[in-house]
Amino acid sequence: MSTASHALPSPRLVRTAIVLGVLLIWEILPRAGIVPSLFLPPMTTTLQMLVVEAPIYARHMLVTLQEVGIAMIFACGGGVLCGLAIGGAASARQIMLPMFSGLFAVPLVVLYPLFTAWFGIGSESKIIFASVYGFLPTLLGTAAGVQTVDRQFLIVARSLGATRMQKLWHVYLPATLPTVLAAFRLGGALAIVGVVVAEMLTSTAGIGFLISKYRTLLDSPRVYAAVVLVLVLAIAFDGLVQVLERRLGIAQQQSGRSVGKRSVASAVA
Amino acid sequence: MGLKAVVSSPSPAFSTDESGAVEVTNVGHVYETASGTTEALTDISFRVETGRFISIVGPSGCGKSSLLMMIAGLVQPTRGTITAGGRPLVQPDPTRIGVVFQDASLYPWLTARSNVEFPLSLRHVDHKIRRERAEEALDLVGLAGFADKHPHELSGGMKQRVALARGLVQDPPILLMDEPFAALDEQTRLTMGDEVLRIWERTRKTIIFVTHGLSEAIHLSDEVLVLTSRPGKLVDRVSVDLPRPRSFEVMGGRRFEELRERIWQRIRS
Ligand SMILES: Nc1ncnc2c1ncn2[C@@H]1O[C@H](COP(=O)(O)OP(=O)(O)OP(=O)(O)O)[C@@H](O)[C@H]1O
Ligand SMILES: [Mg+2]
Repeated sequence: MSTASHALPSPRLVRTAIVLGVLLIWEILPRAGIVPSLFLPPMTTTLQMLVVEAPIYARHMLVTLQEVGIAMIFACGGGVLCGLAIGGAASARQIMLPMFSGLFAVPLVVLYPLFTAWFGIGSESKIIFASVYGFLPTLLGTAAGVQTVDRQFLIVARSLGATRMQKLWHVYLPATLPTVLAAFRLGGALAIVGVVVAEMLTSTAGIGFLISKYRTLLDSPRVYAAVVLVLVLAIAFDGLVQVLERRLGIAQQQSGRSVGKRSVASAVA
Repeated sequence: MGLKAVVSSPSPAFSTDESGAVEVTNVGHVYETASGTTEALTDISFRVETGRFISIVGPSGCGKSSLLMMIAGLVQPTRGTITAGGRPLVQPDPTRIGVVFQDASLYPWLTARSNVEFPLSLRHVDHKIRRERAEEALDLVGLAGFADKHPHELSGGMKQRVALARGLVQDPPILLMDEPFAALDEQTRLTMGDEVLRIWERTRKTIIFVTHGLSEAIHLSDEVLVLTSRPGKLVDRVSVDLPRPRSFEVMGGRRFEELRERIWQRIRS
């Protein structure tokens, strides 16, 4: 390890260098006149907007954050719980999974106008839309994870007197934690996308609303500033999930056991 | 069946204690699957007195695991009845019957200690008592210093010790073991056999031990039940009248060879 680090820079260093490089190009291209600044305002001009217009951005960011937060609770919480429940019961799995997979294939964005018709153009329609948008992949991911749980784990739990709920909580959840977190990550990211897109389509507040509004005014720096905020939000969420993964010690879990040994197993679990 | 007559126990101390007695009466089991039915066991009857060490041997697929699962309450027999401690078992009860499976069935996300505590936490046993009992059980299997290790940090033998501790932690009068050492190397298997004997002598539990090893069965047990296959039938009960402790001389002696030969003949018939 230590000898190799002489030859190769750490991945972290390379990543930082790439990000700095992109930022630099972002600054240089418009300044040098290679790209018109209407298409791409310089980095410094954009970031300056965030400072100058801070109160406005803050106010709208707060709206977006609130919507995203609530949507994530529904999307991730609901998705994980329903995924566990559906994936854990053979009959529910057979009936419901194809349905949800089918639903997932529908581009929900085209239905958004309906959501505004039903729930108005305020926060409610965004929250509900984003919840549904993030819910499906979270559910599907979790349910898929549950199906890969080693049957022996369940037999042992039964032999130790675990109830149905205890099996879900003490076996399915920890056994599927890596998959669940991956599903949570995807669902959360989609909830963010859902909220911002919904705000861009029809709304009166939120970062998405700002993007739409400034775009119609051809105010590129303000549009880009808002986009930067969305990026920051997405990256912050991702970082949070990573911290969570590390905390829960996903790395040290290695279940090196064969899956699905066909024997008395299938009759028992 | 006539077999019962052959049986009569050579053990001088005949216990009247029912708590560890297992009674299997005319038990049969048929698996129904999409591809048809398999008659795994037919008309099995035997009784095991409290504190006895019984082994079950038989060719692969003769239903040894199925029988054990039924005694554990994990699978319901399609015919006949089973009682443990004088009462029928409608569902697994780890305070009456402990089960040790072949492959390390430990939960990889829990430490050795938490794995042993697991059945206690399912019953909401107080944290302090849980600790004490787990400590005691780990001590009994000789793993006192490894409580905080995760399964992947333990050798195969140590993992089975943890599984044994988990089966013993609620001090059930009956312990079922399904080829617990089959995945271990010869040397470790011998050590583990002695370990089980030591624990048996200390705790005087009823042990029903499934194995493929005829020598192992003779070495450990008071009596060996021989099953044949398709469908599994009890064809012989061989009392092992070798003195304990069974030294290397005894194990190499003529009587041992006779017993081994007899069991082998019965399996092949
Ligand atoms: N869940 C199941 N569904 C259908 N058939 C099964 C199931 N489990 C076991 N069987 C069948 O029942 C018979 C007995 O199986 P069992 O696992 O009890 O045998 P075993 O004696 O433990 O075998 P081994 O020595 O290989 O462990 C076999 O023919 C097996 O194919
Ligand atoms: Mg078996």
